[in-house]
Amino acid sequence: MKNALIIFKKEIKEVIKNKSIWTPTIILSIIFCILLPVGLTVGSSGITADPDAAEIFSKLLPGHDPFSAMIIFLSKQLLIFLLLVPAMIPSLIAPTSITLEKESRTLEPLLATPIKTKELLLGKTLTSFIPSIVISTFNFILLSVTLDILSYPKLGYLILPNVEWCIVAFVLSPAISFIITMVSIIISSKTTDLRSAQGIGSAVILPIYAIIGMQIAGLFLMNIIYLVIACAVLIAICPLTLKIAVRVFDRENILTKWKYK
Amino acid sequence: MIKVKGLVKKFEKITAVDNISFDIADGEIFGFLGPNGAGKTTTIRMLTTLIRPSSGTIEIDGMDSSSDAEKIRKIIGILTETPGMYEKLSAFENLRYFASFYNIEEKKIKANIEKFLKMFELWERRNDMVATFSKGMKQKLAISRALVHEPKILFLDEPTAGLDPESAFMVRKFIENMKNNKITVFLCTHNLEEAQSLCDTVCIIKNKIIRTASLKELQNLKNQRTFILKLKKPDDRFMGIINNFKDCINYRIENEKIILNIENFEKNNPLLIKELVKNDAEIIYFNEKKESLEEIYLELVKG
Repeated sequence: MKNALIIFKKEIKEVIKNKSIWTPTIILSIIFCILLPVGLTVGSSGITADPDAAEIFSKLLPGHDPFSAMIIFLSKQLLIFLLLVPAMIPSLIAPTSITLEKESRTLEPLLATPIKTKELLLGKTLTSFIPSIVISTFNFILLSVTLDILSYPKLGYLILPNVEWCIVAFVLSPAISFIITMVSIIISSKTTDLRSAQGIGSAVILPIYAIIGMQIAGLFLMNIIYLVIACAVLIAICPLTLKIAVRVFDRENILTKWKYK
Repeated sequence: MIKVKGLVKKFEKITAVDNISFDIADGEIFGFLGPNGAGKTTTIRMLTTLIRPSSGTIEIDGMDSSSDAEKIRKIIGILTETPGMYEKLSAFENLRYFASFYNIEEKKIKANIEKFLKMFELWERRNDMVATFSKGMKQKLAISRALVHEPKILFLDEPTAGLDPESAFMVRKFIENMKNNKITVFLCTHNLEEAQSLCDTVCIIKNKIIRTASLKELQNLKNQRTFILKLKKPDDRFMGIINNFKDCINYRIENEKIILNIENFEKNNPLLIKELVKNDAEIIYFNEKKESLEEIYLELVKG
């Protein structure tokens, strides 16, 4: 564990300095946690004033008045949108984690130290996973605060956090982050150059885009049952990806099959 | 300190290392010579537990490389073929990072970093990013990294390759000093002069071991020794005597010196000298020609 923390400490400093990781993350946070909630809530009076729209919202979430139905609907959409962050951050950091070591030729001296493969992988995983969790949690809190500030005067109660919020923020988001990290590390161990690692890494989050697209298209609306099923599936996949990552990270193959340019 | 028996490494159909065996004593500087693709780096990688042998055994300081890999990695230091430093970290940060994987006190780490950076004249640049370093500086830093945890065995893969003469000299001096520090050095090199001046034993490899011997043994390999004869006036009369000497296998003249190969030299050398002196030859000197390692190496590698 000590060696994993040594790697994490060194790498997290580099991650913090890397603007190409933070710029898209900050933009996403501002859009999904501030601009969209503010824009949609402020414009909600106009939307719910339209009888057709009001009817749609009432049907969508029976038992709620059009405004609160719209805010709840909005919170569900935004929570799903925010799953992009725990997926995106590891996909920006992890795919290059091993590839960069190979390319800068530091992997061989690093592997010649007493570090264990599991410690090395754990250190690399933490470097992607921890920032992803910290930023995601911050985003979920920011979204809650924004929505609550905007909706409380009209609703008289706090719409977030609720059970769905808790499941998304504390179970689904970390599970997604972990899986994307492990898949990215597998890619990083296998790819032979930095560009293909980054290319394949960016494709890893496509399933998240698909889920968001499906909810926008109205194919489903997030609820507790869907969330529990999704969490159960993802939690089951987590140890599997870890196992594959450890197996794929074969010191010998990485050292002997990597071709320096 | 290192015992290698029947070591084989195959990559699919290619046999990179074919049944090599050798022993390296404690504190010895062991030269590992061979042309490109001879299996030197593969051997180093097996010895440093980075890759597994296809067959054979490696024992390092009494530990088996397959079952005690982590323990072995604690007592070895390696200079890889290329320095491989983190370019965005400073020299100090690089060394501290690698040293922190060994169980050494922070105080000791700092003291060792200072010691080695000063030894390689990098102390003044300790806080500079490695990206700003020259190739020679990176190489010296990489050697410092291999030493910072005070290993018992040091594996050096081409330590002076691509270095300017001054840096190469400094590195060679340092390797020489390892002997005083009782550190066993496994030196992989193309540089034969370097091997000749530094190593106690050399092993010539071309996928399999061609020869393992001390330098003296290697130089005595040739069954016919070569001698140099310098005469004050090497006229035709004396050349005729040499030519007609029945046990003279061949001779040639190089820079006014006569280079001879004589069969059964212990018996025949005095006879030839006697014959020349009898014919009024003034002999300036008569010496055995020392073979350079390069000559021996080339001869052995060519097979």
